Amino acid sequence: MTDQLAALTTIFTEFYYWVTVVLMFLIHVGFCMYEVGASRYKHHQHTLMKNTMLIPLVTVTWFLFGWWIYWAFPTGPGLAPSIMNESTALITDESAFSATWYTATSELMAINLGDHISGVFWAAFLLFSWTAASIVSGAIIERITTFAFGILAIAIGSVFWTIDAAWGWHFDGWMLKLLGYHDAYASGVIHAIAGGFALGVLMVLGPRIGKFSSSGEPRNIGPRNPWLVTVGLFLIYTGFWGFYAACNIPIFDLGPEYGMEGISYWTATNIYVTPTTLSGITFNFLMSLSGGLLAGYWIAKGDPFWTYSSGLAGVICASAGNDLYHPIQSMIIGMIGVVIAYKLHYWVERKFKIDDAVGAVAVHGYAGVVGLIICGFVLWGYPSSGYSVGAMWDGTTYATINPVGQFIGAIIMFVVLGLIPGYVIAKVLHGMGKLRIPREVEIAGLDYEMMEAAKEDEKAVSSATR
Amino acid sequence: MATVTNWIDHLNKPAEEVVGAVYPGAGSSEGILVIIAVILWIGWHILTSKSESEELSRLAKKRHSANDHKSNITDW
Repeated sequence: MTDQLAALTTIFTEFYYWVTVVLMFLIHVGFCMYEVGASRYKHHQHTLMKNTMLIPLVTVTWFLFGWWIYWAFPTGPGLAPSIMNESTALITDESAFSATWYTATSELMAINLGDHISGVFWAAFLLFSWTAASIVSGAIIERITTFAFGILAIAIGSVFWTIDAAWGWHFDGWMLKLLGYHDAYASGVIHAIAGGFALGVLMVLGPRIGKFSSSGEPRNIGPRNPWLVTVGLFLIYTGFWGFYAACNIPIFDLGPEYGMEGISYWTATNIYVTPTTLSGITFNFLMSLSGGLLAGYWIAKGDPFWTYSSGLAGVICASAGNDLYHPIQSMIIGMIGVVIAYKLHYWVERKFKIDDAVGAVAVHGYAGVVGLIICGFVLWGYPSSGYSVGAMWDGTTYATINPVGQFIGAIIMFVVLGLIPGYVIAKVLHGMGKLRIPREVEIAGLDYEMMEAAKEDEKAVSSATR
Repeated sequence: MATVTNWIDHLNKPAEEVVGAVYPGAGSSEGILVIIAVILWIGWHILTSKSESEELSRLAKKRHSANDHKSNITDW
């Protein structure tokens, strides 16, 4: 870089995404604390290790192929032409932003003095991947094998969420063009898909021993340590600031980008490269969090576990349109999402005997779906993109945001890319005898041998004289 | 293996030659590195799956009750 202003802009952007990654690490710390707090004493260490090991498993696969999928799949393939090369095939040519630059063997996937952005942008998306896998992790605690969870984490973290991101989050995604899909802070792209995936796995995995009485009545198990759970959720709130910032481009000149001659307009943009402000989304983040907490406290009658979870659900529900909503709209949407998610959680639990240990399907899945649908009504008529497809396509331009497109988008996220793959992969693992731990181990506790060894160590040390 | 051996000489090159990969083996070793990563990744899954299965079957055979772990809670 030889131009000082260009260098400043580039290095500011590089540092901006780097900071978002650090902040988003707190989401994972929070998830680990939350799961340990929700699990019983005899399963603590395995529960923690399960969620910890998704970090390397998803990271390595995200490097090997996950990131490539994001850049290759915006066209479907076969559903809508790319605005970069006018083809509906996988984007693997030499055009800008092609997946060909993001294979594991690419020189851009390493320290490269000509590229200050790929690594930090890759990492920001990787942290979204961890979040997707962590959402699934909480729902299935105390009875899944670590091997099975690793496979499921790779599937949701490095394959299915990245496909949905290519389709519905990439500026060239077919869902924007055909459906007018809008999901600025990932109500569907992360949360609905992960919630749906978790539900699919739970349908095969079954409940924890003792969760349901012989007459089918659900019993409450936990959380064992509500304070660890609440501190964990506070950390997830904190990390969510990084998540929101990472969904933006911090500084961009939209005039030349949209092909407007002589116009220069510097702004922050959302992931779709349409204008928003960090200031505006700060209003909406806090108001939707507040709406969720208010509704959760009311509907759960002050239960701390659900009240904290509802704060998260409130943000998740409003996230699809939080780049454009008024703060009070965000608050009301957050409240609606929480009430529906809470009611659905207990209805599904009783009706279908689904044991979602931490309410992840409700907080992320149901709240995400509700948020997408509401967004279709509230933002009806807004452009889903600033780009134009132009003459390359009969549709001529991107569809505008609309309720039907958002509803179909929600189905794609929750069911097509979430629930169905989760169910199928869990079925395969179950068929291999690798999905669930033996009944005897579940009763004894996954940590039994570790605890036994620690007790022996304690005896040896306490009886030692030198 | 070194891609750069003198930073002053390197930065004095034309701009298009300055920008680029600077890690050891740039342009020649990436394929081998990816193959090694894939082997390590698959190997890790095989090893840990085997050890987990052994651990679970060993513990299952002991048939502890739901409260047996309480006698193993340490005081330190």
